[in-house]
This record gives sequence, structure tokens and C-alpha cells, in this order.
Amino acid sequence: MQAVGTTRIIREMSIEQPVIEVSNLVKRYGDRTVVAGITFSVGEGEIFGLLGPNGAGKSTTISILSTLLDFDEGTVKIAGLDLATEKEAVKGLIGLVPQDLAIYPSLSARDNLSFIGRIYGLSGRRLAGRVDEVLELAGLSDRAGEPAGNFSGGMKRRLNIGAGLMHKPRVLFLDEPTVGVDPQSRNFIFDHIEKLNEEGMAIVYTTHYMEEAERLCDRVAIMDGGRVLAIDTVPGLVGLVKGGIILLGVPGESAETARKLFQSLDMRSAMAPDGRLKIETDRVDEAVPKVIALCKERNIPILSLEMLKPDLETVFLNLTGRRLRD
Amino acid sequence: MRKITANQIFALTWKDLKLFFKDARAMVLIFLQPFLFIVIMSYALAGVYGSGKPIKILAVNEDRGKEAEHVVKDLSGLSGIAVETSWEGVTLTRQEAEELITGGKRGLAVIFPADFSSVLERRPDEKTQAATKVLLMADPAAPASVTGPVLGAVQGMVERATFTARMPGGIDYLFDRYDMTATGISREALKEKAEGAVTRTSPEGGEKAVTVEKVAPKSMKIKQFPDSFQQNVPGYTVYGVFWIASLLAASVLREKREGTFARLMAAPISRSAVLAGKLIPYYLINILQIAIMMAASALLFKITFGRSAAGLAATSCALAACATALGILISALARTEAQASSMTVLLLIAMSALGGCFVPRFLMPRALQTIGLLTPHAWALDAYQDLIVRGYELIDVLPKVGVLVGFALIFFAVGIRRFRFE
Repeated sequence: MQAVGTTRIIREMSIEQPVIEVSNLVKRYGDRTVVAGITFSVGEGEIFGLLGPNGAGKSTTISILSTLLDFDEGTVKIAGLDLATEKEAVKGLIGLVPQDLAIYPSLSARDNLSFIGRIYGLSGRRLAGRVDEVLELAGLSDRAGEPAGNFSGGMKRRLNIGAGLMHKPRVLFLDEPTVGVDPQSRNFIFDHIEKLNEEGMAIVYTTHYMEEAERLCDRVAIMDGGRVLAIDTVPGLVGLVKGGIILLGVPGESAETARKLFQSLDMRSAMAPDGRLKIETDRVDEAVPKVIALCKERNIPILSLEMLKPDLETVFLNLTGRRLRD
Repeated sequence: MRKITANQIFALTWKDLKLFFKDARAMVLIFLQPFLFIVIMSYALAGVYGSGKPIKILAVNEDRGKEAEHVVKDLSGLSGIAVETSWEGVTLTRQEAEELITGGKRGLAVIFPADFSSVLERRPDEKTQAATKVLLMADPAAPASVTGPVLGAVQGMVERATFTARMPGGIDYLFDRYDMTATGISREALKEKAEGAVTRTSPEGGEKAVTVEKVAPKSMKIKQFPDSFQQNVPGYTVYGVFWIASLLAASVLREKREGTFARLMAAPISRSAVLAGKLIPYYLINILQIAIMMAASALLFKITFGRSAAGLAATSCALAACATALGILISALARTEAQASSMTVLLLIAMSALGGCFVPRFLMPRALQTIGLLTPHAWALDAYQDLIVRGYELIDVLPKVGVLVGFALIFFAVGIRRFRFE
């Protein structure tokens, strides 16, 4: 693993049947580049996560892939169709679950789903049957006639996802679908997504919660500042951070002395953007007493000490020097 | 594909109609607000437009003679004016009349001075001549459209009384000063015949030579003059119809904020179908609104709507097109619902006022009358008035309907050009 934010680690698996192929995608708003040349592919039946903090470029990427935004450079293919030239055909293959609750609160759950179904060309018995299926899938059959505005946050989220499934899309884009959801509904949504995935649907899932990415995603792309910093399976990404990380708070005048000290003891250390010393070590449990003893010996006051075991959070911290929720 | 588009537009239309009829505030804004305006403003402006309810004026008679009494009687005989000479059973004094006006209970009082009769009856050759003044006391807040006609009526009556009272003295004066024997008529006979000779078709009597009658231009085939309700229905219908623009713009911007618009744009549906699905329901609501307002006005206020149902239909369809196209324009220009709301209020109140929905355009300064023609309100109002109160036919209002369609096309074209689908 390299020093903070200097290297991009892309381990693209060989995708035999890519359903999404993104190559050097760029999106700018005036002088501001919000997606800066990203490349990735998603396989048939894969759950692919886009993980990053707010402003990383995840939602913009999803908006481009779901045909809502035009892009400036690069190529995007969905099920072999070029998004730049075959946008209308692509629209029939994809489903979008926007970050906002894209439902009509004064209409019933059934009316919401019927409306979306009609927009996708369903009618008559096919429409009625599909509405019943999706209501069942979303666990809303018993409240189908109630206005959606009366639902809890979790129920609204489930209806929001259901609306994206009405036409049985081949690819489903889920943009932070669990925002504002209680743990029970979150688990329901996770089970729901896993079930859809088992049926062969490819899912692109954006989140800034590492727990969600760890539980759901076959592979994860870590994004920051419009760039993809790393792509791999969750174990593959976590494996990039050997051992763990110690975040040590010391007075500013002692920071450089401490950094050199730990560096000489084969502990990879660097200054984090928040002013703390980031010490990467293979055996974090053994390293902590050693760090405390050394500081005491060299009269370096310890202001704070935090021990991080390897997970996607530590991977992101290691790649960017910042936490996901910063 | 064409069938899918038609089904999609139907689904969008049905969805927006359902959303509208579940929104109580929207229904109050569209159906009840203009109707309340009609009722309130019709009663409030009854004096201006003449609903059959006369303007009440107080008459204070301080005259020691009989002349003022005659003028008051003549004024009472005028249609549109009700003269009150007493208040709560007691004859009015100047002070009481002042108090009633100051207290806002009445707006106008005519005061006859104590020397009114003596001035009128004075012979021209009397050594001491005097002038006197009849006062029209008015609340400064009373509109000129009310005080003007009353002042004119009082002036007319006073001049007539002056002529009638002073004419015999004038004849005496002429007989005394000049030798009138050659005419072969006595002064008493001349006095008897003079009024008839001057005011009647024959010196021996007959009908009045000049009478005043209210008429409409010949081209307007009306049976009777409209009352205040009939006057107000076109104005407040036009005013109310345009509020659909506010609802339509808010609906578009709400869908954008809540993400449902994004979901639609990610679906295989064309942009024109999305727009059609937005316009059609609000257009239908507009037509329904106009129909309900006219039906309710006919039932409750016994208003007749002229002779041309086709003219009313054509004007209403063009007007609704204008209002919904304006909604698209506002939704394209505003970034948020709050912006759309304030933009609509400002625009609609200004356009309604300039277009003559609140005050007739002919009462406005000439420059404002011209500026008013830049609003669709003026053209729609004029077309409705042509049909409802002037007795015109479809063919007569077609040019105005054409201008309304032009406004609709301009609003729609600019709106579509500026509309942000992303």
C-alpha cells in the first residue's frame, strides 16, 4: 500500500459477460470536473458498489449511466448498446431507484406502481399482475390502497425500489437507497436486493456506508473527487491494508520527530490531513503498547490514540487520508 | 411505439388529474377563489356597475323655501340614486350628514343652503342680487366613478330648478323693461306657455322635448344592460383561470425536487410525451374550472351568457391554452417552487390588473390601456365581454381568440426552449 492518495489501485477482474462497460468517462460542469475519466465494468448478475463520501461523483456516474445526464468524454455501453447513440433503447433495459423518494405521496402504493408500469408500456392483466408481484416483493400488499404519504420511511423506500422494478429491468441502479431508513427496513431492503441478484439482475449500488458495501457487493469501486481510486472484491480491497492503522495525536512540534521514529522501526507512518500521525502496521495489537512505550521514552505527549482494524473504512482512509464520512 | 406513447400520455394525464383532485388547496385556488372574487367584488362594486341597487346619497335641506324640496324630489325620481332625507326617522341636519360620512356609513351628501329658494326666486331687476352654492359632500375615498355621475345629476337638477324658478321673473322683467304689447300676449299667458314651449314638444303640452335614456351601440344586440355579476364574471373568470399556471409550474418543480421527474426521464418516454402528459390534465382542469364557474354563476345569479355557445367555447379553449402554456414557461424560468410561486403571484396580479380584470380598462390612463393589450387577460376579457354583455357572435370574437392562441404559442415556444429536462 502506498502513501496517502498518491496511487490508484485498480484490480479489474476479467468480466466474461459485461453488462455495463464504462471507459474513460468524463463529466464537467463548466470548469469543474465531477467525473474525471473513470473506467470499470459490471458483469451480468453482479452487485457492483460505488463507495465514496458525498461529492465523490457516485450520483453523477449513476445519473449518466441511467441516461439522465449527458457526458463529455469516454464511452458507456449497456448490454452492448452505446449510450451515446442508443439512449432510448438503453432506457428500456435499466431501472432507476433515485436517491430521492421518487413516489407520489398522495397516490396509493398500487396507483404509484400502476402509473410507472403504464409508462413502461404495461397494461391490462399484465400490469395488474406485475403490480401485485411488486407489492408482494416490497412487503406492501396489505397496505396497497393506502396513500404512500402515510407510510414509514422504510416502507416508502421499499415502494421506491419497487417502482424501479416494475418492468423487470436487466440492470438496476440504486442510488443510496437506504438513506433515512431504520435498521429493520434496511435489512429488508438488503434481503430484497440479494433476492433480485439471485434472479440474475445486475445491480449498481452507490453508498457511503462501508457496511452496506461489505454486505452486498461482489465488487466495490472506491471513488473520491470524481476518480475511481480502487476496484476489487471487498476482501481484495481490505487485503490492501496490511494489519491495521493507528491514528496518533501528538503536539505539532513533536509530530515530525515521532514520524521519523516510527518509520525507523519499520512502521509505515505519514501525516494525515487532520494533523494526526497515521501509522500502518502488520500487527496492530502488538504495535499499540510499543508506540505508547516509545512515546513515553522520548517524552512525546500522546493527545489521542485510535486503533483501526482493516476494513473498507481503513482502505478509504489509507487511499485518501480522510474518512468516508468526513 | 405510437400506442405506447398514447398510453404513456394517458397514464401521465390520469396521474396528474388524480393528484390534483387529492389536493384540497389546489381545488380551492382554482375553483373557489375566483368564484369568491365574483361574489365579493360584485357586491362591493354594485354601485359602480349598477346592479339595480341605487347609490345612496343623503340630502340635507336647510332651504327656507320650497325649491330645494323640488330638486330633492326630482333627484329621488332618478334611477340609480336613492335619496335619504332622514336618518332613523329624524330629518337630517348638516352636522348629522357629516358624522354619517365621517363614520363611513354613507359616502355622499347633497346640502341645500338656507337661501336656495330666495336666490332662485329673485327677480332680475331686484337691487340686491346674490349667488348661492349647493354642496356635494363626499368621502374622499369614494371613487370618482361613483361621485362623478352623482355630481352630474345634482348639477343637472339644480340647473333645471334654477331655470324653472327664475323664468317667470325673467318674463316679468322683460315686460317691465320693454314694450311687449305688440306681441299681443299677456305676461301671465306667456308665463303659462313658456315652460311648455321650452321643454315640451308643443307649447300646448305633449311629451318632454328632451329626455335621457341609457342605450348601447346598435351593433351590440343586448336586451338589457348587464348587472354587476354579469360585469364581473368575465373578469374574474379570466383572473381565476390563469392560476392554473401556478399549480402546473409547482407540479413540474415538485416532481423535479422529489425525483419523480428523474424517474420519468430515465424511462423510455419521449420528452414531448412527458410535456403533453403535464399539459393535458391541467388544460382539462382549466376547461372544467371555466364550465363550473359559468354554470354556478348561471344557477346562483341567474346570469345569461349571451347568444354564442361556440364563441364561449372557442374563447375558453384558447384562454386555457394560454394559461397552461404560461405554466410551462414559469416552470422553465423558476428553479424552485418558492420562486415559481412568487413569480406567478407577481405576474398574474400585474397582468390581471393591466388586463382590466379588476378595473375596466377604459377607466385607466391611455398609456396603461395600451400596455394592457400586451397581456392575454385583456384579449380574453374583451372576448368574453363581447359574448356575454355585448351580444356578439363567434365570428366577431375570432380575431381575439386568434391573439390568445398567439400568446399561447409564444409562451409555449419560449417555455420549451428554456425547459430543463436534466
